[in-house]
Amino acid sequence: MTSPTLPAIRRRTLIKSSLAVAALSAPPIISARGEVPVRIGMVDPLTGTLSALAVSEVEGAKYTVERLNKRNGILGRQVELLVEDSANDVGTGVQKTRKLIERDKVDVILGDVNSGIAYAMMGVTSELKVFHMVPGGHTDPITGADCKWNTFRVCNTTAMDAAAVTGELVKRFGKKFFFVTPDYAYGHTLQANFIKNLKALGGEYQAELLPITNSEFSATLIKAKAYKPDVLLNNMGGLAQINCMKQFTQFGMQKEMHLGGGLYEIESVRAVPADAQTGTWVMEWWWDQPNVPEVVAFVADFRKATGKTPTARHWFALVAIESIRLAAEKAKSLEGPKLALAMEGMELPRDIALTAGKSFFRAGDHQLMTDLFVGDVHPPSKGNPDDVFTIGSAVPGEVAAGSVESTGCKMVHPA
Amino acid sequence: MSTATTTAVTTPVMPARPWLTTAIIFAALLTVPVWLPMLGGYTALAGRVLVLGLAAMSFNLLLGFTGVMSFGHAAYFGLGAYGAGLTLKYIAPSTPLAMVGGVLLGGILGSLFGRLIAQRRGVYFAMVTVAFGQIAFYVTYSWDSLTGGYDGLRGFSRAPLNLGFTTIDITNNSTYFYYFLLFVFAVATGLQALLLASPFGRTLVAIRENERRARFLGIPIERHIWMSFSISCCFTALAGALYALLNNFADPMGLHYSLSGEIVIMTVMGGMRAFWGPLIGAALFVVLQDYISSMTVNWMSFVGLIFVLVVLFFPRGLLGMLQKGTEK
Repeated sequence: MTSPTLPAIRRRTLIKSSLAVAALSAPPIISARGEVPVRIGMVDPLTGTLSALAVSEVEGAKYTVERLNKRNGILGRQVELLVEDSANDVGTGVQKTRKLIERDKVDVILGDVNSGIAYAMMGVTSELKVFHMVPGGHTDPITGADCKWNTFRVCNTTAMDAAAVTGELVKRFGKKFFFVTPDYAYGHTLQANFIKNLKALGGEYQAELLPITNSEFSATLIKAKAYKPDVLLNNMGGLAQINCMKQFTQFGMQKEMHLGGGLYEIESVRAVPADAQTGTWVMEWWWDQPNVPEVVAFVADFRKATGKTPTARHWFALVAIESIRLAAEKAKSLEGPKLALAMEGMELPRDIALTAGKSFFRAGDHQLMTDLFVGDVHPPSKGNPDDVFTIGSAVPGEVAAGSVESTGCKMVHPA
Repeated sequence: MSTATTTAVTTPVMPARPWLTTAIIFAALLTVPVWLPMLGGYTALAGRVLVLGLAAMSFNLLLGFTGVMSFGHAAYFGLGAYGAGLTLKYIAPSTPLAMVGGVLLGGILGSLFGRLIAQRRGVYFAMVTVAFGQIAFYVTYSWDSLTGGYDGLRGFSRAPLNLGFTTIDITNNSTYFYYFLLFVFAVATGLQALLLASPFGRTLVAIRENERRARFLGIPIERHIWMSFSISCCFTALAGALYALLNNFADPMGLHYSLSGEIVIMTVMGGMRAFWGPLIGAALFVVLQDYISSMTVNWMSFVGLIFVLVVLFFPRGLLGMLQKGTEK
């Protein structure tokens, strides 16, 4: 009896098939074209622990580009968005930035959610003199000690987030903090700023630095339990923050201490159990702002276009791209140096800023000054799964940021 | 009583016309700035192929020509990158000095570590190399004040090359920098080829083919494996130093075991018994990663699938099969 054999795939067949697939999927050879679209290159960690936040930023960018193309584009030209995955890895992020600039000839670069990658990308964009907007990488040196003439930022610095919420946490819960912080640029500066503000108010703390991709928090949470803090500040981001929150509630710690911190973004709040949807936090933008009709109109349009409620990450991308349009129209150019000068001090109209307070890019450090919202996270209310935050107060950006001198930025423009 | 076994010694796969393969490869590499942009590529991509190709070829001195598997070679690559970066940042803004700094850091640590493990074989050797790699990774990750921690080492950039009679601007001119990389790559691979053609290189192949027989012939096996490991680490560290110059930064993921795995994949895909095989594997890996990751976030699945297909249908690697074909 002969044993059944599987049909063999011959090597020659494999080679022929591979060549056919390669030929079909090869990039087209680009020849000269009359009206070239404005190209925006975006590098974000679409895979890895920060992917949920990055996906929202990319959605926001796609929505904004579509909206712009229905109007008049940028400088009368259509806009094309090219997205690359940095895979939450600094080396890959730098490689993709070079690819977008050198191969795809993008006019501007956006990115990255990961502060460390955004920081490294600045080296490439300033070397190649390309305008760089950081929509959502928070670490302070980007618009602080290492500020560059070509780099602007939409999201807050960690100093702004910490300054906005520390006083509120101390006033409501107490002066004893325990920090769970990611061990990279964002975490370091956020924790340092919290500690500075806490010490000024006479508080005390313990802290634990953990890898950015950490998924197991039991040892850290046991330490926190033993310390008996008034507030546990979960500074982790993305999936790591979600995992920490889940384990926090599994340990029943929500009955023993309050939660709070810099950022607890809606993408993360949606992903945790109701017990962990709590605490006092900063939202960098919120979709439900009382008495701002422009926000109502934007939320309705965004929901119609995407079926989703916009988050701060969507807003970051919208502000980044719309600001580039405004600056390009002011400079009548997309050249990096001209665009940067045009954006310095530029005030955003209400339908782009989408907040009641004044919003502008500060000339001295290229940081967007806009309202920060301090309030409480809670389980969904009014039957709306996105209604998970109630604004307590709006802190003007300039108040939270302090002076340009305090950031350490010394802006030098190219000759 | 032990049973005597006879092992058939296979002849290592050598290209029928080695000069032809070398000429084709260098002709392609020399003309990269001309043809690559026409195919939708960019010069920095070719630079990355050269750097990772050199790392894979250096690793292959150990795997393909000595028959010893290391799963921790990224450690020496990353140490080379940090050595170059720290030299540029804290010692002197000199590109050649940075390369020396990188080779010394990765090479010396690799050599010291190799001395400890040269007696180990098989899975034990491989596991210890992983362990050392992860130690190096976590030291780099944790030594924030010196290495920049997870965010990596920044604040340095490659310096123009001062030849005495002229200065070559490899800082701002990407084409000049590519040719600088190609020059270093050519020198390094030339040295590797000379080494493999020497009696020492033939001895390494003898150890790979039949260690017991080589030992009976009086060859000091452990010393040869240690020397092969050390030389491999030095060349890998040189590749790491070039990587730091290419990106103007160094980060701890350059020492992570995942990169060690990628170096193994490049080597096996290209052909570990062929001298240029790892370069072909690196080119395939880097180009696939670059193109497919622009289309889908699941790009690693495709790279994995291609790796499986290569192992199933081209067990000697792509170049190994081509060379076998020309021998028929």
